[in-house]
Formats: sequence, C-alpha cells, structure tokens
Amino acid sequence: MTDIKRPREPFAPWDRRTLPGLFDVEETAKRVGNYKWLEIKLFEALGGWVATVPELDVKLRLGTHCYHHAWHAELFDKRLPELREMKTERLTVPANDEIATFVEAMTAPEDAHMTIEKLVGVYRVLIPHTIAAYTYHRNATSEITDMPTVRILDFILQDEFNDWREGEMLIQSMLESDEEVDRAMTHQAKLEKLMLAAGGIAGPGSIGDPYVEAMEDN
Amino acid sequence: MRKIFPAEELARDARFIRQTNEQRLGDPRGARVAGGSSGDRLAKLTPELANGPDRARALMHGIFVGEIQALEGAGRTCWDFELDEEVPLALKLDMARQCWDEARHCEISVSLAEHMGTELGEFAENGLLYEAACNPDPVLRLTGVNRALEGLAIDVFNTMKEFGNLAGDPVLEFCEDWMLADEVTHVKMGSDWLRRLTANDKERLDKALEFQKIVDRLFSFNGFRGEDDDSPIQLTRRFRELAGFSDDEIDEIADMSREARVEAPS
Repeated sequence: MTDIKRPREPFAPWDRRTLPGLFDVEETAKRVGNYKWLEIKLFEALGGWVATVPELDVKLRLGTHCYHHAWHAELFDKRLPELREMKTERLTVPANDEIATFVEAMTAPEDAHMTIEKLVGVYRVLIPHTIAAYTYHRNATSEITDMPTVRILDFILQDEFNDWREGEMLIQSMLESDEEVDRAMTHQAKLEKLMLAAGGIAGPGSIGDPYVEAMEDN
Repeated sequence: MRKIFPAEELARDARFIRQTNEQRLGDPRGARVAGGSSGDRLAKLTPELANGPDRARALMHGIFVGEIQALEGAGRTCWDFELDEEVPLALKLDMARQCWDEARHCEISVSLAEHMGTELGEFAENGLLYEAACNPDPVLRLTGVNRALEGLAIDVFNTMKEFGNLAGDPVLEFCEDWMLADEVTHVKMGSDWLRRLTANDKERLDKALEFQKIVDRLFSFNGFRGEDDDSPIQLTRRFRELAGFSDDEIDEIADMSREARVEAPS
C-alpha cells in the first residue's frame, strides 16, 4: 500500500530548473515582438518568391517553409498579450533600422536566375542568426517563470533546424561552378555585414555578450 | 521584389509549355483526349470510356499545373499586400497555410500523374488561374481564387475520386479524398474572408461576387462542370455547402453551367 502521507520535494531530484532568468517581462515582450516582426517578413518573402523560382523542388520547399514561419509569427503574436502587451502591433517592429535594412536587402532578389541569392540570404544568413538568438533566449530565460516562451521557442527551433538543413542542401545542390560559389559567398558576405551592423535579429545583445571587462594593470 | 508579379513571368523549367486557353482547346492532343474534334462535347469521365484513361491523365496533369499556380497565387497574397493597411495578419496566416497545402498538392498530383503514366510537360499549361490571383484588391483576389477556382477544384477532385473508385485505383481515390478535404478548407477561407472584409461594404461585396462570376464563367469550358448526370465534371453540392456556399449560390453556378452547355458549339 502506498504511504500517501510521505512527503516529497516539489522538484524531483533530476529537475534542476531554477527561478532567475536574464529577462524580465518587459524585455521578453520586446524581444518576442522583434521575433514576430522578422518571422512575418520572412514568410511574406518566401511566399512572394515561390512564383519567381523556376526550380520545382525549391518552389515547393519555399511554399512549405512559408507556412512554418507564419506559424512562428502566430505563436509569438499569441504570446505578446500574455506578456502584458495588449496592442501587439506596438511591439511588432524591427529591433532597429539596421535589421529593417537587412530584410530589405535579403528580399530584394527577384529575377529567376537569382535562386542562389534568395536561398543564401535565408538559409546561410538569416536562419542561422534566428537559431542563435532563439537558443540564447531559450537558455537564458527562466524555465519556470517564462516556460511558455521556452516551449514556443523549442517548437520553433525544431522547425528552424529542419528548414536550415533543407535550405542548405538546396544551396549545395545548386552550386555547380566556381562562379556560383563566388556569387553565393559575395551575397552572404554582403548580408552578413548588414546583420553585423544590426547586432543580430533582436539588435545588440541578441546572443548576449561573452566578453568580460578586463582589469587595468597599474 | 516587386508587388504584383505578372503571369507571363511565372518561373518555369524547360519542361513546361505555356498556351493560352484558346490554343489549349485547339491543341490536337486535347482533341485526341476528347475523343474527336476539339468541339466535341465531353461525356462524363468514367474508366469505361474509350478515352477515359487518357482524359483522366490529362486532367491530372491539369490539376498539377493548377496546384503550382494556386501555390504561387497564395504566396503572392502573403507578399503583395501591406499588413494591417490592406489585410489583417490572420488573412496572411491563412494564405501561408494554403501555400503549404498547395505545395503538398503539387507533390501529390505530380506523383499521381506519374502513377497514371504521364510525364511532366506532356500537356500544356495556361496561366488563367494565376491571372485571377493577380487582382490588386485582396477581396476580389480571394473571391476569384478561393471561391471560384478552389470551388472548381472541389468538383474536379470529387470527380477524380469517383473515377479512382470506379477504376479500382485505391491510391488515386485515397489521395483525391485528402486533397478534397484541403480544398473545402480553402473555399471556406474564401467565404469567411469575403464576409468579414465586406461586412460594411456592400459595393465591394457586389464587385467581388461579380468577379467570382467572371472567373466561374471563364472556367466553364462549354459547361463541362454541372449537375446533369452526363456532365464531365460533377458539381458537388454537399462539399460546397460545407465550404460556405448558400443554396442560391450553388443553384446559380449550376444554371451558369447549364446555359454554357446549351450555348456550346455542337
């Protein structure tokens, strides 16, 4: 017979979650708003590009990934009122002007011959940066107080990893000459510099700051 | 990337052959499939017809290219309109969902086409569906595409599902039933957004319904879709009701098809 009066701890021995997190409610809402803005811009662009790419497999993947990012935007949109932001559009903004410039440059290619540039912008620049920022957020926030955001980010990261792999494989399958490799690298470098200027998808501090202040020697 | 991407610039590989509707109807391959001259009326699609399997193959190819254009159209609706100023986020989310569905339909229909012995490019493509998806008014675009064309897709898929059943092809029947479920959802999206976006704008509602009629008429093809027993494509009342069509609206489409059939060259 089980002794129902025998006490147990509220956290099982293997559950090492702790209360503090790096972000308060306000900072979390701000970041979630930035993420939502970016996911919207991304799904709009992927949808728009479908008609412009002649490669059938790429066309169908873009259509599929378009929905993934729309779903991410929807998840972030639903989280915002839970973070005390009732006018969700107020926080659905780019982190800074530089990230808006990045998105403008990433979505600029239209010509049917520019599939490599389209894919590189999304899968070699933007998605790696979203994975980095979402992972930082997921690991830095409190897994108790902010578990709803952690759960959302876990679902989204699963999509991002899968889409990143598919996108990278599409790029590799399209690079058939030195000239095409150069095109991909040139475009990647151009966009990476714009992302650097933005400081990441949520602005400076998107993935924290690993440096420490050095003590000055007298 | 531009807003509004013209139909003549849709990106395709070398296998795709674009024709106007007039060219397509006059194409001798189409006439062969019809079983006579291009003006001949088509009988109801069944496996017993001498040209039944060929017609089914041609129809499946048509479904495939239609699905590509439906995917492209839904994608452009995600991009072409300014968020909140022109359309709400929920509408764009619906269109993104439709992109995923249409991408799966492309995968299904190209696999079914191969299953039925058809090669990509064996039949021509016309850009009519995507052209309806270029309307600059999102309400008219959704009405023309989601209610008129996706409505037609309901009828076509149901016909193909029945064809699969009659032909003893469980793969065809199974896949068509799944696509049919998605299409009812897409038509319902169109019906819901039409009502929501025109709730206080009777003039816009009337314009949208008029555009739907124009698209419906364009795709009537001599009344090949109707409620008569021998209509090549059967108008599917039950699924259209599920998708938000009123009895009057379904009656109107049936009447339009009947008139087109009477007016068609014999």
